Amino acid sequence: MIVLTQAVLAAFERGLNSVLAMDAVALTRLAALQGTVIAIDCPAPAFRLFLLPAGDGLHIAAHHEADVDCTIRAPMTRLTQLALAQNKTAILHSDDVILEGDSTALIELSDILQGLELDWEYELSRWLGPVGAALIGRFARNTGDWTKQSQASLQRSLSDWLAEESRTLVGRREGEARFAEIDALRLAVDRLEARLERLAQRRRT
Amino acid sequence: MSDQRKGPEADPVTHFGYQSVPESQKAHKVAEVFHSVAAKYDVMNDLMSMGIHRLWKRFTIELSGVRSGNRVLDIAGGTGDLTKQFSRLVGPSGEVVLADINDSMLKVGRDRLLDKGVAHNVRFVQADAEKLPFPDNYFDCVTIAFGLRNVTHKDEAIASMLRVLKPGGRLLVLEFSKPTSTLLSKAYDAYSFSFLPLMGKLIANDSASYRYLAESIRMHPDQNTLKAMMENVGFERVTYHNMTGGIVALHRGIKP
Repeated sequence: MIVLTQAVLAAFERGLNSVLAMDAVALTRLAALQGTVIAIDCPAPAFRLFLLPAGDGLHIAAHHEADVDCTIRAPMTRLTQLALAQNKTAILHSDDVILEGDSTALIELSDILQGLELDWEYELSRWLGPVGAALIGRFARNTGDWTKQSQASLQRSLSDWLAEESRTLVGRREGEARFAEIDALRLAVDRLEARLERLAQRRRT
Repeated sequence: MSDQRKGPEADPVTHFGYQSVPESQKAHKVAEVFHSVAAKYDVMNDLMSMGIHRLWKRFTIELSGVRSGNRVLDIAGGTGDLTKQFSRLVGPSGEVVLADINDSMLKVGRDRLLDKGVAHNVRFVQADAEKLPFPDNYFDCVTIAFGLRNVTHKDEAIASMLRVLKPGGRLLVLEFSKPTSTLLSKAYDAYSFSFLPLMGKLIANDSASYRYLAESIRMHPDQNTLKAMMENVGFERVTYHNMTGGIVALHRGIKP
């Protein structure tokens, strides 16, 4: 079990550090955090991990027998959100997330991970050379742009067809107008109700 | 502890693998083995353990409790796997001493660490584990990974490690041990005595050294014997963790 845990951590650490190495400034910023230890404590499923930033990457340990600078205690769902979300600060302020100790290092680490800009083209050029990397890079960018445009166009066409042709759904503008009418009606009903209440009160007195 | 002495008049003998040799010759014979394998040591380690030795060492680092500013002694540090990680953990305010009795291994370790830019907080010392050339109460942590079984007087070496540790400091002994399952033990024996020497012959052109490796593992004290040895010398709270079914064990003791 010890070896299996270590193998999983080592593989994850290796993958993560390869990604970190693709950012121009991440390792330099991590080096500034060297010596700090951040503990991640998850109650369900129960596990505890330790993050040790260093100049060569982020080290992950299942045990750490010395002092910890900061502990974050949160359920698995929150930790996953924290790993994936763009706005990590909002998740750190959630009710079910508990921070203990000096959170400066954790916020800095979260900032490093949030601000990653991966220069994958440089990494590719190390294997394929500059010409190959540039060709693949241009192809990937063109494909990405085409995919985005196609998606946007498909979405527009589909929504037009559903709203205008098949009349399966109400169109956006039509829907907004209907909602505005409902809002106005609700407001009028509220006013009427208040007026009736006032009249009833006057009659009683 | 496992050394045999044939009475006060006779030359004391000890084991060198399955052979009995005079104590005075063991260090020389072990040195020959490591001079022979030093250049291919890392490659052979990866091949023989299928890379798992890195995971055993990772766990050792985790249990070391080493932190920024600590002073660490890595005995029989060989090619510097543990030293590299300790250097990162202790930071610029700490110090790591890589000690090895064998100058060939020390040179390989020093070159390897320098090539990786690990130099600012590491010292290299050729030293005998039985007579460590350091002051009393000097280190926060002492480790010996896959080295204790090659030491002639293990009790003396452990006592020497106790002496150089600060009170509260910890000793970590990572060493081959006895598999906990009979089935695994048989498979491991078959692997050690047929596959290891063959691989040694093919890769390092030295089957004898790898036969010694297999034999020396069998002659090394098992988990509980080593634990008792550490306690007898004066370590407290001695515990051990079996890894890979007991093929390797990590012993840890605290200096009172």
